[in-house]
Order: sequence, then structure tokens, then C-alpha cells
Amino acid sequence: MAASTLAREGHAAVAARYNAVDSVYWETRDIRLCGFVLVLLSDCILFSSFIFAYVYLRTSAPTWPPFVGGHQLPWFDTSYASLNSVILFGSGVTMHFALENWKHLHKAKFNAWLVVTIILGIGFLLGQAHEWAGVLGEGITWPGSTWGASFFTLTGLHGFHVFVGACFLTVLGIQANRGVYTGSKYLGLTCGTLYWHFVDVVWVALFSIFYLW
Amino acid sequence: MAQRIARAPNIVRVQGLGPGFWPATTLLLLLCIANSLYWLFGNIDWLLPSSSQPFSDRVYDIDGLFKFMAVFGGDIMIIVTGYVIYFCIAFRARASDPPDTVGVPIHDQPKLEFWWTVLPTILLVILTALSINVWHKIQFGVTSPGLTMEVVGHQFYFEYRYPGLKGTTTEAHLPIGVPVRILITSADVIHQWWVPELRLKMAAVPGLVQNLNFTPLRAGNFIVTCSEFCGVNHSQMQGKVVIEPVAAFNTWLDAQKTAAAAASIPIKLSGGNVAAGQAKFHQICSACHHDPPTPFDQKLVGPGLLHITDDPQHPTLVTGKPPTPQNIAWILQNGFTGSIGTMPNRQANGLSAQDIANLVAYLTSLK
Amino acid sequence: MHTEPSSTTHDTHATEATHAHIHPAPEGFVRKYVFSLDHKVIGFQYFFTGMLIMLIAGAFAILMRTQLTSPTGAIMDHNTYNEMFTMHGTAMVWLVTIPLVTGAIGNFVMPLQIGARDVAFPWLNMISFWIFPVAAVILFSSMLFGGPHAGWTEYPPISLADGTAGALWCAAIFTIGISSTLTGMNFMTTIIKMRAPGMTWTRMPLFVWATFATALMNMFATVALSVATGALFLEHVFKIPWYDPSRGGSPVLFEHMFWFYSHPAVYIFIIPAFGIVSEILPVFARKPIFGYKMIAFSSMAISLLAFTVWAHHMFPSGLAPWLQLPFMILTYAIGIPTGIKMFSWIATLWGGRIHFTSPMLYAMGFLITFSFGGITGIFLASVPVDLHLHGTYFVVGHFHYVVAGGTFMGFLASIPFWYPKATGRMLDERLSLLGFWLFFIGLNGTFFPMHWLGIEGMPRRYASYTAFAAQNPDAVFWNRFETAFAFFMAASIALLVFNLIWSLKHGKIAGINPWGARTLEWTISSPPPYYNFKEIPIVSGGPYDFEKPLPYKNTDNEIEEFPEYGKVLMPTPVLAGSGA
Repeated sequence: MAASTLAREGHAAVAARYNAVDSVYWETRDIRLCGFVLVLLSDCILFSSFIFAYVYLRTSAPTWPPFVGGHQLPWFDTSYASLNSVILFGSGVTMHFALENWKHLHKAKFNAWLVVTIILGIGFLLGQAHEWAGVLGEGITWPGSTWGASFFTLTGLHGFHVFVGACFLTVLGIQANRGVYTGSKYLGLTCGTLYWHFVDVVWVALFSIFYLW
Repeated sequence: MAQRIARAPNIVRVQGLGPGFWPATTLLLLLCIANSLYWLFGNIDWLLPSSSQPFSDRVYDIDGLFKFMAVFGGDIMIIVTGYVIYFCIAFRARASDPPDTVGVPIHDQPKLEFWWTVLPTILLVILTALSINVWHKIQFGVTSPGLTMEVVGHQFYFEYRYPGLKGTTTEAHLPIGVPVRILITSADVIHQWWVPELRLKMAAVPGLVQNLNFTPLRAGNFIVTCSEFCGVNHSQMQGKVVIEPVAAFNTWLDAQKTAAAAASIPIKLSGGNVAAGQAKFHQICSACHHDPPTPFDQKLVGPGLLHITDDPQHPTLVTGKPPTPQNIAWILQNGFTGSIGTMPNRQANGLSAQDIANLVAYLTSLK
Repeated sequence: MHTEPSSTTHDTHATEATHAHIHPAPEGFVRKYVFSLDHKVIGFQYFFTGMLIMLIAGAFAILMRTQLTSPTGAIMDHNTYNEMFTMHGTAMVWLVTIPLVTGAIGNFVMPLQIGARDVAFPWLNMISFWIFPVAAVILFSSMLFGGPHAGWTEYPPISLADGTAGALWCAAIFTIGISSTLTGMNFMTTIIKMRAPGMTWTRMPLFVWATFATALMNMFATVALSVATGALFLEHVFKIPWYDPSRGGSPVLFEHMFWFYSHPAVYIFIIPAFGIVSEILPVFARKPIFGYKMIAFSSMAISLLAFTVWAHHMFPSGLAPWLQLPFMILTYAIGIPTGIKMFSWIATLWGGRIHFTSPMLYAMGFLITFSFGGITGIFLASVPVDLHLHGTYFVVGHFHYVVAGGTFMGFLASIPFWYPKATGRMLDERLSLLGFWLFFIGLNGTFFPMHWLGIEGMPRRYASYTAFAAQNPDAVFWNRFETAFAFFMAASIALLVFNLIWSLKHGKIAGINPWGARTLEWTISSPPPYYNFKEIPIVSGGPYDFEKPLPYKNTDNEIEEFPEYGKVLMPTPVLAGSGA
């Protein structure tokens, strides 16, 4: 129902209703936040399952990295990935600042930090793309080995989540500037921040198992 | 607005634990005792094959566990079914009840709940302990096997390798009284090697070697049947397992070694002559395969060989291998035993190495 | 429970809170019946679609049983039979059982029982439903490409031979998984956040507890299945090496990932049925459920333990021996909460006033058939015994007893029970009773002999059984016996379908509360209006307080005694054995 009323009445009307009756807002917020957190938890299971598959394949293989066509595949470049990780974790920090500024009604600063966050996120994706090109060049392909299968699937899934997150944050920025959120009612921004931190946490796991192990 | 509050409903009174509770309980207890005695002392060969005269050392332990569970499982079923029926009779709604009659409004009874939690828990702990004991014996009981046999699952037969034997057999023989270790794997998909009378089962997983340990106790002939879905002929994937005295086993194994040695003579496929092959086919092979060769399904004793190299319905040979000249030659040399039947090997057919080369040339020339 | 009329209690919060706000009525055929946001309509949609697919999957089962009347296979070749059991299992698990008990009954009943107007996310609920027929089309379309053959478990490497059909199978399972996950999230949020004021966790009906426990498993386990089948799909289509051992993959990996979902799945099947039985027994014994707290607690314990026992499906299959031990122990442990429930249900019958209506007979039949299925499960939990029984007809007997004799019996019980609420008419009671006896007898006749067949040596997924029949001359007789009784079950379902349709026009008019039950759905009209409750009720008692009188409001806002109690609709109490 919310989607169709949004289409029909526009953001201002939705915002007005949110602000009109406090109890309506807080109860809706409660319900939606609960649902969003549950979805993030199930997303954890998604990554955990693929991580389990990778760990199982790696621990049951006789040698690692595996041999393909008579040659042993190489390890990944930890230093490059560390740099890229800093960019991603940095975007988590900037997102935190963005939200704090919104809570204190510093709209311009909020916009600035949000834009930086989105740019850092896109930067991370570009860095990933560059790394993928390098990995492919070294002979590790998606269908070629379990090393490639795990790496490209997990980092690809994660990258997809980052991309969706960047889109999500962009939409949130537009909505915030159109006046949908107030200083005390900003569920969308809370969810966006939670999602962005979630993406960071997943990356910690992936970084550990592909680059540190 | 009218507000009439209904009077409290008529709550039934129950004398003691219910009418006829103790007679019913006594009856159920007697049935439980009868059930327990049957499983503990009765002959259950109709259910568990050869339980009273085990063929392997695992039978006694596994069947013992089974019987223990049947005693308690049966007793629980008697109690559950018995009390449901009894309560239906004792506490049925009667025609004479006033319309708003309700039952005794008890919500819980902590002591009763405590006991019916604790007692089944104790039972399960005992069962766990017994199971662990048997599990340990099965997994780790045979520390120094007298014989190690390898089983390889194929679509759709099992292949056996013995120490000192160069080739493989499609029939398993095992000696009485010797602890056996069986190593199982698969060449293609997951199969499962199951001999029901021996209570032996293990999956043949490609890429893994699993082991199975037991000691055969008595002589017999058994069927091994595949019990993990493995493809279109899964239901026809059976084989023979023979347990025999040590002397007979050794004789059999020696015979296999001799046959294997005789079977492996070198064959030069390049020198094959199609016309000579056709003549040999007419002379020997037509006894079991249609001559001139027919499509696969037009069987005589063995399948038709017209499309041996290019049949889309049967893209592999009966051995599961692609229809290359080498693989066709292998069958001619070694014979074949499988669900489709048995084909004699080279010596039994009286073929020389050149005969085989000619036959391969002829068969591969058919279209 | 005792509910205050809102004319005497005025609570701003309750009437103005979002979930208490009555939104405008939907207009137009599409909004009302096709893309409806109303949980009751969505429940109907799941019911109708699930029943339709059940008829197809059931027909496959009848064909399978007919095939087995001859040891060489009576009516089809091996390939077709393999396709039949694969489609039967796949459709029954994902397109019949879960949609019917969770999607249909859960959707319809749960919001009513907590005094809510709808679920937390009605739009997601609608999407979750529409994913279901799409997944069904994908699955059945695989039959146009030869069909999947390797059973509902589709283990690689053999399933990799299924080609396009196998990839479509993966896609269908992945798709339906999204529906389950979203529904799980929706139901969890609804139950956590949208209960009527005064309904504490310990005043919730047990069906709501069951729905919550199920939603938890649905939400967290299904994702693992999506990954398992998603990876298999990638392997089919893009040749990504997860499971093929010749390229570094592992077939056992698939088994782990598949069963990590599929074991909780079987609890997803059964726990709603537990909830249904917990609702029905008190009503027709006219007394509270015995051991409410323990039943609620054990549902949660089962739903958590369910995630820890998956490898008992893999005992002979490539599991390291030391791993078999903890899974065996945990599998035994999960039997204890289930046992507690069973004893509590039986104790609910004690001291009651039992009315032998069709929901009650199904519920009591459940007690017997599910107990038997649970006990054969204990046999399978023991590793040494499982090494004999795995992959045989014993397992087929076991899981049909718990799914058909458990979940399906619970589902069949819920139909005559809640049909009056959903449609405003009673199902024909005599047809329901006949249907029960046909089903009960058919179930036992079909699946009981399977245990013997399995122990004696008949493996499952066999299109023909010539070797086994040669060794066991009785095998043919018992297979034919089973087939004959399978037709009893088919007849029961046919009767049910007829009854459902016939009673829409000709069933007796049901009042607000034909059964004299005490949960909230029985305080509003049958069928309820789209907004369920005119005012959100304020709850001040438990859901099974039969010792308290039953005031409720009729549509004129009057409180009156239950007028039809003891008369025609609440059947006149009868003596046992006269079959009502």
C-alpha cells in the first residue's frame, strides 16, 4: 500500500502523514526495522553458505591452490586488496558521519559525507574490477577451478551488494533532500547505514579467507 | 446495548483418574510386556534376514540395537494408541451432558511432566550409549585386516580388486573368519554397496575412498544391490557376493589370477582386416549376437552390434566406456559380466590376438 | 479469551496505531482477487494452487505405485519412473506441503489469531505468493526437456546428467526459496510486533507459536538451499566446479549444503501441523491444552535444534566417522521435545468431553501415525542401524508416516476446522468423516509394509525389483497391497475436493463460532470482513480458557451467550463408536 500511495500522492504527502500522527510513525518504523534486520540476518546466511562451500573445498583438497593444466594456480595479491579494503572501510566511516550530521540537522554536511561514501563505494568496485582483470590474467577463471569458482562467486556477490548499496544510498540522498526525512524520523537512512555496515562486515570475512588464510 | 453475561459452563467431575483407568492401564502394560518378550526372545528372521544365524559379525550387534529399539518403540506405540483409544471411550461427550459442558480445566501438572521428560531422556541416553558402542565396533573394530578388497562402483556394476590380482572381477568372494577391510570408491557417480544379509552398506563416492570393516562368519551366496540412485539402470544394478571357506577362496583367487594373466596378451589393432573379422563374427559371435548385426534392442543372447560405435540411445559400451576400438577390444579380451548378462572372455571364445584385431576392425566399420 | 468490548475501554493507542488503522476497501476484481494484499485472499490463493499441484503430484504417486505392482515394472520404463519419483518428491516438498501449511493455513489463520488486521508487509506477502506459481511453471516445464531424474535430492554428479531439465529444477527450487524466505521474515515480524494489546507471548495460541518457530526456520534455512541449488545451477549452465570431483569439486559438499536446509525443512513441514493439532484438541475435548508452556518451549527448541542434525541423512555417504557421533547424539536429543508434546496432547484428552468431529478424528489419528513415524525416525538416528536402513523402503515408510501421517493429517484436520471461518459454511461432516477413515486406512495400508520391505532388502528409487522379488517371494504381494491402499488415499482426496466445492453452495451456514472455541478468530464474522476486526481487541486471558464463559460480540455489538452451543452446529454430544 505504501508504494502505491507514494506514487499517487508524492513524497511530501507521505512525509506529512509520517509527521502527523506520531504513534503511526513509530509503530510503522518498529515493524519495518524489525523486518529489515531479519533480511540482513538471512543475507548473512547467504554469504555463510558460500563461505562454507569454499572452506570445505579448500580443506578437503590435497593441495592448495589447486593445479589446473599441470600448473599450480597463484595466490591473490594481499597488498592490493588491503588498499581496496581501506577504501571500503573508509566509506563505512564516512557513512557514519553522514548519519550523525543528519541527526544534528546539518544537511549540507550530510550531503557531502553521503556523496563521499558513494564515491568511495564506487571506487571500491572499480578497484575490484581491476583486481579481477589481474586475476583472470593469471589464469584463475570462474569455471576453471574451485579457487576461481569460490573467489569470483563470493567477491562477485559482495560486489553486487556494494553496487545495490550505492544505488540505495543515492536514492536515500534524493529522498532526504526532498524532505521525506526529518531530524527525528529517518528510518530509511538508518536502514541504509545498517546495510552499508553489513557490507563492510561481510568484506572483513571475505578478506580474511581469501587474502589472509 | 444489551449485555448478558453467560453463566459459568458445567465442568465435569472425574473420579480418580477416570472410569476404568486402572484396568485399561493394566491391559496396556500386559501388552507392553508381551511386545518386549517377543522382540527379545522371538524369532525375527521374517523381518531381519538371517538374524538368528548371522553371516557376519555385525549382524548380532546391529540386530541387537534394532531389537532394543523395537521393544521401546513398540511399547510407546502401545501406550500412545492405547491411551488415545481409552480416553476416547472414558471421556467421550455423552448425549446427556448439558450443552455447555467442559472438561477438567487443568493446564499442567509439573510432577507428571517432569517424569515424562526425564524417563524418555534416560531411555535415549541408554540408547545413545548402546549405539556408540556398536558404532565404535563397526568403525574401528578391525585394526589389522587379513584381507583388503577394493570396490569400485560403475554405472551399472561393481568391480572388485584383490591384492596380487592384476585385473578386476565383477563378483566378490570373501573368506570365512578373516577380518576384511573393504575400500570403496566410484568411477562415475555416487553408488551404494549394500548386502542386506550382512548388514553392510557404504556409499561409493567419486573422489573419496571410504572403508567398511567386518568378519564373515558363515558360507553363503548373497546379492549386493545398489541403494543410492545412480542413473537409469539403478534398479538393475546387482551383483554377487560369495562367502566361502578360506581354502575355496584361495582357489578362486588363484583361478582369477591365472585368467587375468592369460587374458592380458598384447593386441595390435592397426593390423585388423575387416573381411576376416566378418568371417570370424559369423563363425563365433553369431552364436549370441544377430548376424548380420542388428540394432541394440534386437537381442539374441547378447545385444545387437550394428550401431556399436554410433548409437545415440546407447552412447557407451556395456562397460560404461566410450565405444573406442581399444574399449571394444577390451571386452573381447576380458569378457564381461553385468546386468545385461555374461560374455565369455578371449580364451573361452577361442580367439587369438589377430582375431580380436580383425573383429574390432569389422565392428567399427559397421554403420 | 476474555475480551473487553471496546465501548467500555477506549484506548487511543490501540485504535490509532498503524496496524489498527482500517485502510479503504480494495476495489475491482484484480485488486480484490488477483493481486490482493489481504492475507485471507492470499491464503486462498496458496490453498488453491497448492491443492492443484498436489493432485498432479499425487497422480504421479499413483502411477509409481501402479508401476510397482509388477517386479519388472508394470507400465513404464526406468527413465520415466525415475522422472516420476523426482517430480513427485520435488513438487510435494516445495510446491505442496510448505505452501499449504505455511502459505495457506499460516497466512489465513495467524493474523486473525493475534488480533491483527494483516501481516506486517502485505505487499511482500502478495509477491511471495506470486513467486509460487512461477516456480511451479519452471519446475513442470523441466519435463519438456526430459525431466530431472535423480530424486528430489538431485545429488550431483548423477544430476549433472539431467542437462537443461536439471538446470530448470535448480531454478525452480531457487525461486520458491525466495518466497519461503520472505514469508518467514513477514511472519516473524508480524508475530513479534503486531499482536493485539494484552496478548503476551504466553497468551498466544499455540498455532501462532508454531508459525513463529516455522518462520524462523523458513527464514534462515532456505537461504542455504538457495545457495546449494544456485551453485548447482551455475555448474549446470556455466560449468563452475563446485561438486564435480573430476574438477576439484565435492559431491559430499552438495549433500552438506542441501541437507542443512532440508532437515529444518522437515520441521517446517511438521511444526505447523503440531500447532494445528494443539488448536483442535482443546476445542473438541472442551478443556485447555495440557502443558502449554512446554509445548511452546519445545517448538522453539525443535526449531533451533533442527539446524544441528542435518548430517544424519548422510551417515553412509562420505561423512568422516568421527562426525557421525555428534549428529547421532543431537538427533536423539531432538526426539525429547517431540515426545513432550505427544504426551501433553494425550493428557489434553484426559478428563475432557470428547466430540468426534472430523477435525478431532484427524487430530487424534495424527497422534497415532505421527508417533509411529517418529519412532521409526529413532531407528534411523542410530548410525549402526541406519547403515542397514539408509536408502531403503524403510526410509520411504518413515518419511511418509511423518509427512503424510503427520503434516498432511494436520492439514486435513485444519480444513473442516477453519473452512467455516473462511467461507461462512460448514463442510459436509459425513463426507469429512468418510474421508478421514479412507485416508487413515489408506495411509497405514500403503506405508506400513514398506518398513518390512526396506529391512528385508528393497532399496528405494527402484523402477523394478526383479532381484529382490526373486529372493523374497512375498515382495510382489506386499507391493500390490500397498498400491491397493494408495487408491484409498486417492479416493479420500477426491472426496475432499468434492466436499470443498459442494459445500460452498450447499454447506450449512456457519455462525461466528460453530465450535465454541476460544481464540480470537472465532469472535468475528464468518467469513471475516477484509479488515478482520472493527476494533483491535484487548486481550485479558489465555486462548484455551474453556472454564470461563464465552461472551462475544455479534455483528450488532451485543454480548450474548453462545446461542448455538450444543445444538446442530456444535454437534450434539454423542456416544463413542456411533461415528457422529
